Amino acid sequence: MIVAGCDVGSLSAEAVLLEDGAILGSEIILVRPTAEQSARDVMDKLLPRLGLSYDDVGFTVATGYGRETIPFADANLSEISCHAKGAHFLVPSIRTVIDVGGQDCKAIRVGTDGGVEDFVMNDKCAAGTGRSLELNSEALGVEVSELGPISLEAKEAIVITSQCSIFTELEIMHLLMEGRSTADIAAGINQAMSRRVKMLAGRVGTKKDVGITGGVSKNVGVVKMLEEMLSVEFVGFPEDPQIMGALGAALFAAEKAPQ
Amino acid sequence: MYAGCDLGSVTARVVIIEDDAIVSSETMPYKKLPVQAAVEAFEKALSSASLSQDRIDYCVATGFGKKAVPFANADSAEVVCLNRAFRLLHADVRTVIDVGGQSMRAINLSAKGKVLDSTVNEKCAAGTGRFIEVMAKALELPIEQVSALAFESKDPVSITSQCGVFAESEVITYVNGGRDRADIVAGIARSVAAKVSSLVRRISLEEKVAMVGGVALNAGVREYVEEDLGVKLTELEADPQVYGALGAALVAKEKHGA
Repeated sequence: MIVAGCDVGSLSAEAVLLEDGAILGSEIILVRPTAEQSARDVMDKLLPRLGLSYDDVGFTVATGYGRETIPFADANLSEISCHAKGAHFLVPSIRTVIDVGGQDCKAIRVGTDGGVEDFVMNDKCAAGTGRSLELNSEALGVEVSELGPISLEAKEAIVITSQCSIFTELEIMHLLMEGRSTADIAAGINQAMSRRVKMLAGRVGTKKDVGITGGVSKNVGVVKMLEEMLSVEFVGFPEDPQIMGALGAALFAAEKAPQ
Repeated sequence: MYAGCDLGSVTARVVIIEDDAIVSSETMPYKKLPVQAAVEAFEKALSSASLSQDRIDYCVATGFGKKAVPFANADSAEVVCLNRAFRLLHADVRTVIDVGGQSMRAINLSAKGKVLDSTVNEKCAAGTGRFIEVMAKALELPIEQVSALAFESKDPVSITSQCGVFAESEVITYVNGGRDRADIVAGIARSVAAKVSSLVRRISLEEKVAMVGGVALNAGVREYVEEDLGVKLTELEADPQVYGALGAALVAKEKHGA
């Protein structure tokens, strides 16, 4: 049976299709004005690419912040459970998942069975989330996707003293006016981000193996700094880590689907 | 004559006094570097009172950039300066709330003019002037209008995020949803007031209570603060934005006399 997982977050939406425990395909889009539309659009993009339609999908589990408003989903589950499940499926040795998304940051301790043993989450303050990287890169005048590569050319990471993303915006503008290099500021932004994530992850412990998911895992600068700060080497995932929540949802769909 | 310079996070203010009376006062928003704004405010304050710099006997700086003011002889803590200004203008005030561009503080003053307790938030934009600025931008309204419009609201929106970044998304959602701007503005004022009130509760709320700093210009915020704290805010004798600089000038007078 073909099952689907659909993860509608604050900035992006992902879908994964599974058949008999194997991934058929996945898709990532930027969110639309409503969660429902995001879910439909990501499925409408994925299904035809695989020559499938909604009727071919036996069971769908939704997750993420918009999960309760998706009409074609048969069930919905928290993104914490789905992330743990997806990460454990791809890397069975994983014990800690750090997930830094668009509007939140979480650390999950994963059991040997892929269940959630403990987790901490920040969704109250933008510092330490993807949104802060977006705002900071905007102030710096670079694309958020360039922040990682640019930071690798830094001679030194400039310490960003403000924690609040609204204040760092002004701080970055002042640093630019002082003539500091874009690369050094970019490294400072990534360092501030890494420190916040480290603080959070420290609260669940970082039992090995450790993996990082979410949009921020695509920032090579943050990934490298966090590895140093936590003295770990993040495990590699055989799939794009951004689809982890949707993959977990699809795995739950396979379990929940009436046989 | 004495001068006080308050180098805040968004503006520089200079006050010149003679015999405890304000002779000249200037506010300069930052265009480039904060220090430039301080120098410009000082020059303007001097020239508008037809004074030359050598007439100033002593100058004290305060505010977040207090160490960087080139024409100051010394610097002094914000709390100390606010205390001096209140002792002069409102000796009966026991609780001072100061909400500026990037910080907010609450101070308890004794009847004898001592600082009894104080608390500050400079880490988070919630409740500060910068928060209101970000929301005004999201609403595409000039910041002054974010004050008055609140009174036209019948049903203020509820802004659930404390974080300014997330609150901005909420405001944009309300705008896109076609909510009345007055309701959104009132919701913003209420959110700021809630944050200010919770800071004040960390010290003791004793009357009379006064609110200064740029955010004190926002009538909507003032009204919600009064409602939240259950007090009437004292009518101010001077522009709410000059208390820090005035206090610094008063400290200058003391230091010079000593």
